[in-house]
Amino acid sequence: MTHVPPPFDPELAAALELIKDMISPGLTPDEIAEVRQGPGIQMLAGLDLTMGGAFEVEERQVPGPEGEPDISLLICRPAAPESAGPRPVIYHVHGGGMIIGNNRVGVDVPLAWAQALDAVVVSVEYRLAPEHPHPAPVEDVYAGLLWTADHAAELGADPERIVIAGASAGGGLCAALALLTRDRKGPQPIGQVLMCPMLDDRNDTPSTYQMAGLGVWDRTANETGWNALLGSRRGGPDVPAYAAPARAEDLTGLPPAFLDVGSAETFRDEVVAYASRIWQAGGVAELHVWPGGFHGFDGFAPQAAVSQAARGAHVAWLRRLLGV
Amino acid sequence: MKELAGRLTALDPDAGAAVRVIAYFDRLAESRAGVEALVRGAAVLAGCPARLVDPDRRVHVRVEADGIRRDAGPPPDPAWPSAPLDPEGAGALWLERAGAGPGAVSTRAEPTRVGTEPLAAAPSVVDAVLLERAAGALRVVLDRTRGRAPADDPALVETLLDATAPEQARVHAARRLGLDPASPARAVAPLNGRPRVISGVVPPGGPARADAALPFSVLRGTVDAGPGGAPARTEGADPAAEQAGTRSGTGLPAARLGIGPAVPVLELPRSWAEARTALRFTAEGTAQDPGPRVVYADELGGIALLADLVAPGSEPPPDVRALETAAATAPWLPATLHAVASTASLRAAAAGINLHHSTLQDRLTHAEHLLGWPIRTPQGRLRLQLALAMRRLARP
Repeated sequence: MTHVPPPFDPELAAALELIKDMISPGLTPDEIAEVRQGPGIQMLAGLDLTMGGAFEVEERQVPGPEGEPDISLLICRPAAPESAGPRPVIYHVHGGGMIIGNNRVGVDVPLAWAQALDAVVVSVEYRLAPEHPHPAPVEDVYAGLLWTADHAAELGADPERIVIAGASAGGGLCAALALLTRDRKGPQPIGQVLMCPMLDDRNDTPSTYQMAGLGVWDRTANETGWNALLGSRRGGPDVPAYAAPARAEDLTGLPPAFLDVGSAETFRDEVVAYASRIWQAGGVAELHVWPGGFHGFDGFAPQAAVSQAARGAHVAWLRRLLGV
Repeated sequence: MKELAGRLTALDPDAGAAVRVIAYFDRLAESRAGVEALVRGAAVLAGCPARLVDPDRRVHVRVEADGIRRDAGPPPDPAWPSAPLDPEGAGALWLERAGAGPGAVSTRAEPTRVGTEPLAAAPSVVDAVLLERAAGALRVVLDRTRGRAPADDPALVETLLDATAPEQARVHAARRLGLDPASPARAVAPLNGRPRVISGVVPPGGPARADAALPFSVLRGTVDAGPGGAPARTEGADPAAEQAGTRSGTGLPAARLGIGPAVPVLELPRSWAEARTALRFTAEGTAQDPGPRVVYADELGGIALLADLVAPGSEPPPDVRALETAAATAPWLPATLHAVASTASLRAAAAGINLHHSTLQDRLTHAEHLLGWPIRTPQGRLRLQLALAMRRLARP
């Protein structure tokens, strides 16, 4: 099999030139602490979560999983009064390979959707691996969803119209959350937005080999993330679907899914496979493979034409889903 | 990346940011990025809108700092930093850096500026590198994707304007020139130079109005300066663009121009004929040859009929002879009479030529004596206007 990688989109390749000193494709366990304090995370402190006053922002401590610590929810509600009844909710799960990040990472994306769609954004903080391996992250995410559904009225929101959304590890956790809440008969989201989701701990698809050492989040980084979450179980026979949704045998009964991924990234093949399996199970999914996209390209280079197309596709899908 | 680029310039105003800029455009060029990606790169890295205007190739791309393409925008400001696409042509890449001109203070430009007052008019080092790199890359892409502009081919324009050429040949020429058959076009007759064709919607009117009418494009050959080599000042024209020998953004030469009516592409021979007629009504705009440098055929009305009656170089009609005789004794006369004939009131005419109102009255009394007819009555004013128009028409 050839390991020649597909080329990066020209604009994305140029953007990589600018960020290559800050972001490297690989990540080893001994670098986790450093990346957690890195410039990417520090820049988040300056992010205007109100989007110029469009949102009222609060951080709430809510109960975590049974017997576990509270978790923190970042709640962003449109500042304008509701005009059309309770609002939909974007329940956001941040990315960071299961090992880095906080509930501000990537939240500008659902906030932009919420501005366009008049929705409430709830972004959940979950405990990170390796200090907190599976199932801590997904259980925290589930606890946050329970609270959000139970307290929707308090937020001026409609518990019947919760969309779960996340990128990278956040996308993987959303896919896991959809499985978990289906099986536990918990709150039923009406849609799942899985942006370049991290789904498969086996780390052995052609794209994981093809993109080694390139772009953002290559197979070394991926191994670091999954090892942190699963320890020695990673890649073995007994990894639960709630940790790695690609392991799920049953993909029936899931909410409609939007999946996208770049053609030039580690996760390409696992995302395409997951979408195919949703269809094979009789489910509803929309899949976009953005040509020449590296992992998380639309966040790193939102101005690129392909990023504009990707972000347009997110909003268009949400509009159709929510009927707004 | 916007934030990132901003951080780069803030942290490392000159050398470091310039190196990043070079790496960015080199990478775009290496991966054969298109025109829009290059313009977007300029806009995003500069943190202000960037605009590529290449009239030769009929390309107009404008991208704002957020990376979104919005082709409409304010008319080009000569104070904006820009880089030509090639030394000969009218094409250029602009950074819409408000306040980059002399003495202005721009908060965006500030961190990247080297020195202060003495260099205030020059673009910052980063802007200069950015423009140079982006324009260089654009040149290559335009050559590769659009070829040498077919607009350079005067034979095609000639065919298009030739009523005797078969319709098939004119359709072919229009296609080769990239003209949209569905949108109207105007023929343009410069005094010295090749015929031009303006496509798209251009309002009739003076050069000021034409200058504001972006986007549209002009098929043209080489840039020609006004008579005598130096482009003359034209009211409403853009001084910086004139330095480049063109009217701002339109690619029209700063020469005297007759502009034909907007017509379907296949009727361009008619527009061309009327453009040549309109050209005969233009003047140098000097004291001895006052009058408009640009005339739209649409605006002539019945006056256009005079063109058939007064042939160039023919024996002038008596009123024109009277004008010439009078001008020989009073050099101020042509400019003064033009001001009176083309201005709504005598007071405005006096102001326009920097005369005291009573001085103008004295001159007009003298002029009426020399000409032998009154020029301050409606009838006399019409006679004067006709005489001035016929004077231009009778020139050899």
